[in-house]
Amino acid sequence: MFKRFLTTLAALVLATGFAHAQTKPVLTIYTYSSFAGKYGPAKTIKERFEAICNCEVNWVTAEDAGSLVGKLRLEGQSTKADVVLGLDMNQAAEAKSLKLFAPHDTQVSGLSLPIQWQDDTFVPYDWGYYAFVYNADKLPNPPKSLKELVENPNGPKVMLQDPRTSAPGLGLLLWMRKVYGDKADDAWAQLKPRIVTFTKGWSEAYGLFLKGEADMVMSYTTSPAYHETVEKKTNYKAASFSEGHYLHVELVGMTNTTKQAELAKKFMAFVLTEPFQSAIPETNWMMPAKNPPSGPPAVFKDVIQPTKSLLFTPEEVLQNRRAFIDGWLNATSR
Amino acid sequence: MRLTLPHPGSLVALAIAALVIGGFSALLMIDGEKPSLLAIGPYLTRVLIFSTTQAALSTLLSILLGVPLAFALARRRFIGREFVLSALGAVMVTPTIVTVFAVLAVYGRSGWLASLLKALGFSGDFSIFGYPGILIAHVFLNAPFIARLTLDALDTVPAEQWRLAQSLGFSPRQIFRHLDWPVLHAELPGAAVLLFLVHFKSFAIVLALGGGPSRATLEVAIYEALHVDLDFGRAAWLALIQVAICLALTLTVNRLWTRPPVSHTLRSTILRPDAADRRLYILDIGILSASLLLIAPPFLSLLAGLSHVASVLDADFAKALVTSVVIAGLAACIACILSLALASAARRLRLEMRLPRAAEIYDLLPNVLLAIPPFALTAGLFLIVRPFIEPSSAGLILLPLMNGLAAVPFIYRFFGPKLMTAGERYGRLSASLGLRGFWKLRIMDWPILRRPLGAGFAIAMALSFGDFGIIALFGGPELRTLPYLLYERLGVYRLDEAAAIGLLIVIVSFALAYLSGRLSNAAD
Repeated sequence: MFKRFLTTLAALVLATGFAHAQTKPVLTIYTYSSFAGKYGPAKTIKERFEAICNCEVNWVTAEDAGSLVGKLRLEGQSTKADVVLGLDMNQAAEAKSLKLFAPHDTQVSGLSLPIQWQDDTFVPYDWGYYAFVYNADKLPNPPKSLKELVENPNGPKVMLQDPRTSAPGLGLLLWMRKVYGDKADDAWAQLKPRIVTFTKGWSEAYGLFLKGEADMVMSYTTSPAYHETVEKKTNYKAASFSEGHYLHVELVGMTNTTKQAELAKKFMAFVLTEPFQSAIPETNWMMPAKNPPSGPPAVFKDVIQPTKSLLFTPEEVLQNRRAFIDGWLNATSR
Repeated sequence: MRLTLPHPGSLVALAIAALVIGGFSALLMIDGEKPSLLAIGPYLTRVLIFSTTQAALSTLLSILLGVPLAFALARRRFIGREFVLSALGAVMVTPTIVTVFAVLAVYGRSGWLASLLKALGFSGDFSIFGYPGILIAHVFLNAPFIARLTLDALDTVPAEQWRLAQSLGFSPRQIFRHLDWPVLHAELPGAAVLLFLVHFKSFAIVLALGGGPSRATLEVAIYEALHVDLDFGRAAWLALIQVAICLALTLTVNRLWTRPPVSHTLRSTILRPDAADRRLYILDIGILSASLLLIAPPFLSLLAGLSHVASVLDADFAKALVTSVVIAGLAACIACILSLALASAARRLRLEMRLPRAAEIYDLLPNVLLAIPPFALTAGLFLIVRPFIEPSSAGLILLPLMNGLAAVPFIYRFFGPKLMTAGERYGRLSASLGLRGFWKLRIMDWPILRRPLGAGFAIAMALSFGDFGIIALFGGPELRTLPYLLYERLGVYRLDEAAAIGLLIVIVSFALAYLSGRLSNAAD
């Protein structure tokens, strides 16, 4: 037993040793765990980029987008990251304030995003709208607007995420602010009796919804495409709200501490090309930031198309998040 | 007086204190500003009140179920008893997210209970979100732990006392009063404090089953400060509040309760005479069935993951399994060595040097470790080693270390009282025989330690096995444990595969508990 243990340990050490003994330059990319997981796009993207860069791509992961910024802050100037992929737009201002990111110098045009992109630090690689997902077999008449969901006392029960710990949670907080403005806290109090719970992250909330604990769950407009494509189930749908939907954009940026600046720049340019973008839809279940000439991906043909996109700028989020969260806490913890 | 080497336990205590203080200072200093005192607003006050109430209730309920369960198991022998004991060890290390799903699979809106009620003709929606959900989940996780600990304690009642009780014809009440109560009295307060702290800082369960931000714990605020606000100073202050509360609690309990000394005697397992009592027989059957009804269904609901086990068994899984086992093994070694050193230092202070107040400091340390949010401490230590070590290697060192430290408070409860017992029973004899160092350990302590050591090692390993706190900071394709894999699948809609991985984690923990039971259960 002990001997075997030692052998394994030795093998692990050796394996790590060999992994470092590479002659090709290594591009280290930080991302969140599901991006680099078994079903994530990381493997495909690594293969496709290595085919053109004469380098090796090394993924390093953090639990989720939130932890990515935390990890960078902890590592500071000594970070090994050349590229950071997977930041949420709501974190962009905070991430910039770390002064670890370099301008991307990439031509960002012809995007499929519903907004104009001007940022010179981050490049968007995919996007989607937040939406409430429901099971059409159990909820034949979903609300048609956020107001209807909030104000109908007999409306469906919803499963939400805590805005302090989760990106979609923060998304809904901002969505409510866009729709209700200063009255958002009253709206929260009105919705509160029908909130099943606020979970720590998207995964728990979505899992509990699938297990039948709520009628609707805060997720993305693209979620039904997963059920349709992989599970061949068409009963999961995203509800289209008349006020418009809050936009979620995922970003990539290169660090200014990188020793592989050329490679990192090459990767930043690669992000908006077809080999990268075509890997996104059926792995990350988000809209690619740039559609191929043939139009939007076929898997998303049934995805609802919000008429209006709602969005705060990253700076507005940075300024107001604390106040928004305090208001939410007061309204929902009464 | 001649200069002697400090006791290894003192070195360990110093090292732990240095780690903790260093970690916190690093967090507080990161911005180079002077840390400002944190104001506790109305929200934090509410959270503190809720956490305290919730933790006290959870602890009380866990004890109310766990202790009678231990008695029932001590009195009865039945087929599958060993299986039940191993299951008790495995339940408490179920990853929190798996627990949430398991509890809801049974008690949720579409759970087994709801379906049963519907089949019986009851209609209407019911919800366990709020206190019921939190309490059920906590009792499910920790009543088995209390049962296991109490059962181990009951086993230490010496054989002569049983013989005496038998020849005096003790009634069950007298047996409880004179034989069981002293043991319970010595064990339970410490265990209760430990559980209180576990419940006090329970995070994902409270959020998922609490139903609203009024039902949150301080850990949520700490997480927010660390992950979202990136305000490390605030995180450190919040963590300090938690440490202060835990210290106050531990000290109060220590003041109120002094451990009665044990007589020096032999011990051997003996069938309890009160097993023959009719009323107790009925009571035990009742308790065993009640525990079975409460603990078994969520445990069984994990079996739903079986259908997808085949699809998760791949190279990724094998690698994650090996990584998990290696890390857990290292962590368990660290935890056992640290706990042993601390416990033996505490014993020396109590028995040889007659300084019980000083010994208390050693008893306090494990609880302090528990009160510290592992994430905050890891982040702090990471800041310290950052200039010297590559981030990826830092993970390899910090991960087993932090997991080991996190297990210390639990297994200290297994070792501490046992070492004291060994010392009180045989300390004078072995001193008069001139036993020292290794031989003292081998002859005096080993026989009594062997069982708790096995159990402690398994629990430490299983705790580290199911942990997802620290790996979240360092994990990656290179360093991936099973819980990490579970979250990764959950993050991309693969609920069934996540359930299968959850099941496999519990099975491995169960196997560990079973193995340690077999290894250490040999006649003593």
